[in-house]
Amino acid sequence: MSSATDSASASAGASANPSAADKRPAAGTRGRTRSAYPRYLAGKLAGAVVSLFAVLVTSFFLFRLIPGDPVKFMTGGRPVSAEQLAVYKEEFGLDLPLWEQFTDYCAKALSGDLGTSYQFHAPVVDKITEALPNTLLLTGTAFVLYTALGAFLGTRSAWRHGGLGDRLNTGLALTLYSIPSFWLGLLLIIVLSVGVDPIPGLFPTGGMESGREEGFAHMLDVAHHLVLPVVTLVAVEYGQTLLVTRSALLDEMGSDYLTTARAKGLRDDLVRRRHAVPNALLPTVTLVFVNLGRTVAGVILVETVFSWPGLGGLFYQALSVPDLPLVQGLFFVFAAAVILMNTLADLLYPMLDPRVGR
Amino acid sequence: MTAETTDTTESASGSPPVKSGGPGPRALARRRRRASVARFWREYRKHRAGVFGLAALVLFVLVALTAPLTVGSDVDSVTDAPGQPLESPSGRFPLGTDQFGRNLLGLLIWGSRVSLLVGLLAAVLSVLIGALIGITAGHFRGWYATVMMRITDWFLVMPTLVLAIVLATVLSRSLGTIVLAIGVTTWPTTARLVRAQTLAVESRPYIERAKALGGGHWHIMSRHVLPNVMPLILAQTTLIISSAILAEATLAFLGLGDPAVVSWGGLLQDAREAGSVSSGDWWYLVPPGIGIAVVALAFTLCGRAVEAVLNPRLGVSR
Amino acid sequence: MNRHDQHGSGRTSHRPWRTRLLAAAGAGALLLASGAVAPSVSAADGDGGDKVLTVAVAQSVDSLSPFLAVRLLSTSIHRLTYEYLTNYDAKDNHVIPGLATEWKSSPDKLTWTYTIRSDSKWSDGEQATAEDAAWTFNTMMTDPGAATANGSFVGNFAKVTAPSPTQLVIRLKKPQATMTALDVPIVPKHVWEKVDDFSKFNNDKDFPVVGNGPFVLTDYKPDSYVRLKANKDFWRGAPKFDELVFRYYKDQDAAVAALRKGEVSFVAGSPSLTPAQADSLKGEENIRVNDAPGRRFYALATNPGARAKDGTKFGDGDPSLLDQRVRNALFMAVDRKAIVDKVFQGHAVEGAGYIPPRFSSYFFEPSAGQELAYDPKKAAQLLDEAGYRTNGDGKRLGKDGKPLDYRILCHATDPNDKAVGKYLQEWWGELGISVTLNCLDNVTDPWLAGKYDLAFDGWSVNPDPDFVLSIHTCDALPATPKDTGATDNFICDKQYDELYARQLGEYDADKRAEIVKQMQSRLYDTGYMNVMAYPNAVEAYRTDQIESITTMPSDAGNIYGQDGYWSWWSAVPADSGDSSGSSSSTGTVIGIVAGVVVLVGLGVLFAVRRRASADDRE
Repeated sequence: MSSATDSASASAGASANPSAADKRPAAGTRGRTRSAYPRYLAGKLAGAVVSLFAVLVTSFFLFRLIPGDPVKFMTGGRPVSAEQLAVYKEEFGLDLPLWEQFTDYCAKALSGDLGTSYQFHAPVVDKITEALPNTLLLTGTAFVLYTALGAFLGTRSAWRHGGLGDRLNTGLALTLYSIPSFWLGLLLIIVLSVGVDPIPGLFPTGGMESGREEGFAHMLDVAHHLVLPVVTLVAVEYGQTLLVTRSALLDEMGSDYLTTARAKGLRDDLVRRRHAVPNALLPTVTLVFVNLGRTVAGVILVETVFSWPGLGGLFYQALSVPDLPLVQGLFFVFAAAVILMNTLADLLYPMLDPRVGR
Repeated sequence: MTAETTDTTESASGSPPVKSGGPGPRALARRRRRASVARFWREYRKHRAGVFGLAALVLFVLVALTAPLTVGSDVDSVTDAPGQPLESPSGRFPLGTDQFGRNLLGLLIWGSRVSLLVGLLAAVLSVLIGALIGITAGHFRGWYATVMMRITDWFLVMPTLVLAIVLATVLSRSLGTIVLAIGVTTWPTTARLVRAQTLAVESRPYIERAKALGGGHWHIMSRHVLPNVMPLILAQTTLIISSAILAEATLAFLGLGDPAVVSWGGLLQDAREAGSVSSGDWWYLVPPGIGIAVVALAFTLCGRAVEAVLNPRLGVSR
Repeated sequence: MNRHDQHGSGRTSHRPWRTRLLAAAGAGALLLASGAVAPSVSAADGDGGDKVLTVAVAQSVDSLSPFLAVRLLSTSIHRLTYEYLTNYDAKDNHVIPGLATEWKSSPDKLTWTYTIRSDSKWSDGEQATAEDAAWTFNTMMTDPGAATANGSFVGNFAKVTAPSPTQLVIRLKKPQATMTALDVPIVPKHVWEKVDDFSKFNNDKDFPVVGNGPFVLTDYKPDSYVRLKANKDFWRGAPKFDELVFRYYKDQDAAVAALRKGEVSFVAGSPSLTPAQADSLKGEENIRVNDAPGRRFYALATNPGARAKDGTKFGDGDPSLLDQRVRNALFMAVDRKAIVDKVFQGHAVEGAGYIPPRFSSYFFEPSAGQELAYDPKKAAQLLDEAGYRTNGDGKRLGKDGKPLDYRILCHATDPNDKAVGKYLQEWWGELGISVTLNCLDNVTDPWLAGKYDLAFDGWSVNPDPDFVLSIHTCDALPATPKDTGATDNFICDKQYDELYARQLGEYDADKRAEIVKQMQSRLYDTGYMNVMAYPNAVEAYRTDQIESITTMPSDAGNIYGQDGYWSWWSAVPADSGDSSGSSSSTGTVIGIVAGVVVLVGLGVLFAVRRRASADDRE
């Protein structure tokens, strides 16, 4: 659903992007001295830390709302003596009052311990680090491709703005953008994986590896499994980058300094490439980072459809139990990814835009 | 983002009513509004994609509204299902049947009601929250604004789908839950935009004048700010409906919807559970997805067109 | 990189480079992907000519520790890697020797002596002895962490000893007829005594895992696969396949597609393949659909008024359900034939007694006079008699004058629950009773709290029915409302309990079966557990990869999730094993062509970009 929330900012164009919208006016008020950057940096980092802590707190309390006694789940349907129930409760610290559980949780979280998963009897951190590389592989590949594709097509679209190519381009992007990703994934499975006569299935139906190859063959195997989920993600996500790049560029192309540049006698496409594009990249860059953080969470659907052994699938399994420590841990990771990327965007922004923080 | 369509005309309504001959101030205001609506429509018509989207929407809404007449409410009855399970498309069942032998075309039409309704309600809820927080945070400033904006920021970094899934799990399975889950998780963008607009509106001189003339908070917000952010809210609503419809489908697909209600997302979930993906029963899977995509696209096109009319500088859709 | 820098020529030349790198990386990825189409050979042939049997499962592993694992996949893996004291015959489920070769009970019925076989070796070369078995049971009796999964088996044990390497003695607190059905994996003491916390040890770090079953666990990747190698020294004889791989598919559809393409040899019927999947596979060449009678019953449980052993009543079951006539009437308005025909589309058997017909010695069928056959008119009449009459709107009213509205607890993840629920809504709607489906991911909570009127219920029945019978005794009720009992549905019926105690002390198999039937008859009459159907376990495999495989029971039975290791141990690889080769080579060709097309496209794109940037530099 990353597409769900983002559609607003995407189509509202560059200035609709929340962080970008805020930063433009800020540039004026914040001092322009060089020494301002460290302070800006410190402020942003402190903000990130506060946000992370807020997420930690929420994830703890939010998930206490989920109905379900975890101990009862663990023993669900199996005959268990009352003493044994007490042992479980103690083992997972569920016999303590809520606030004590909370302080425990915070103290442990600070030392990198997110508790023990109820259903897997293993540390949450282990379960997450097991699945994280798989999710990163999937989202990372998709991210590079859809950002490159979106930025490239968006730039082209803006250059030939209003032409047939532009209309086709934005039309296609908007259409793909309106398609539910899980549905597209299922269709791809039917056509490219199950195969429709006379085309045989070209790609594996799910999973990340067939578990038989080693070494280079194993890498090929993983790449082969990667194609369909990546294509799905790229198809539904690139439109947003395209639209933002396009409108940012259009915005920039109306600026006075471009007229000046043209008046200097520079050729039109040079003006665009050297002046307009770099400036228009600013909102795109912000979006790119925000997106990367979001993609990690948005990948839940694609992972479910393609049986990808990543965080999304883990989250869904954990939630249906509910495996509270695991749900909490994953929620924290998802939110932290967004915060991290936002902060990174914030930190990079002044380097890209001389008007901010220098 | 600045929408300058109505402010010049609206500024007059802040001055004390003039009691003299001719049409009263209210009538004047009404006339002005009508004129601006007409102007809006003239501009909107120039955006071909927007007109397209609007036409598609009108069509879908008509289909949904007339569903009780065309297909009837017993289309989802399992005991009186007319066909055999999973029949492929035929003259009798243009889109085949589902695993109970129910007519899929009928279910598709019947399901459009829920999908549109949920999308609409969720978007309205989302925009209501967003607008309320945005306007008040823009108007009151100070610590209230700081707190509100921090909350907004916080919601902004929350992974929306994750939060919505959690909410849908916590609450009982019903349409209300879905509406709530979507509405509560998607408002921050609106709040941000509305606040920015509110700040812009309130910095204009006539607000100073209204305040000097004794306009209270409520007066300023409802009489001056609200009309000015209204177009923005309208555009936001259209855009959010599109994402809300997608979100509804997503949640239903993940099995978090109300199983007793027929919706497009629910149909997709049913299709998957029946195993139609591997059996190649495309007629079960394809139409609901197309329905979702077309409606979402139509709302997006409308939203973009509205936005382009209000803020031509963005040049988003031409 | 700021704006001024970008004017400099030094910078501009960098940018095209970066694009080029990106394009190259993308192209590389695609090349890898299309190249990878090549290795999709038949699943039966692994590296070096090893015969590999790949099984698609829809469940992930919860734990590989026999002390913790409760999921079917994990316990099946333990069946394959550890010997149990006894096993069940593939033909008719009767008890046969496992790690124990023979057993006898003392006259007072309290001491059981098992003779442990001397020809079973652990995979690290050590001998498997009675000491291992005694240690396993003792650990479960003393360490609560080790009792997590199978603690119930040792609940009645007083003392377990191993007087000699071949002799195991178990002393009971009271007689227990299930002593030849102790489904507990026996683990090697010399490996497991090093474990310090059984509640956290998952047995998934050191491979191969030391075991003595027909297969040895050699590799595991969470949410991906579990790999087992044949144990060539297995005392019953080595399995025919060299390797057994369980591959996890979140989605049954993906698993079916994988079977169709030959990526896997077998699709597990747990959850059962849907009718649509089964039908589409039936027409397929080289695929056999095994429509096996299931070991599950699928029932509609009615809340008998939840209560604890201390007598406290809790929960909020509808009071009208306390009337047996109402319960029976509700069941008489359920068209079981329609459920089998429409919901299961023939892949199920109409319900009768509690234990499925596949366990023929315990199977019970109500007599003609006793049967609650489908008869909506009689059901309405019965409700009228019980005092629940319809009002002017055709709504049936409760004793409090409000219309009856039953909440049915249903599993959100089970499509059958939702489907049957829709039918119930319409059937009972005819009676004037409205129905609310309360579909949840996690039904345990309202269930244990007694907050339901009716619920979809189902258990997999073991060859020894003791467990599924025990969960309806008064003794299984929670001690207080705060405790969790073993009870399934809060049933507490004196007559039933007396029969239960009698069968547990009855060591004669035939007499015991007779009592078990009487218990089922009683359960049937009370209307607390209304068995609607016994769903089949529909599974499928490729005959070009598996030539033959043993089902259990052997005449018509299932393959995945047996109460023994017969299926995988007995599976014979097919000779050809490569008939899917032609289609996969076509796939390779097309895949490569697609890759090349994309590459050429990228190349063109790239050339255009380069020309443009060349212009740029001037």
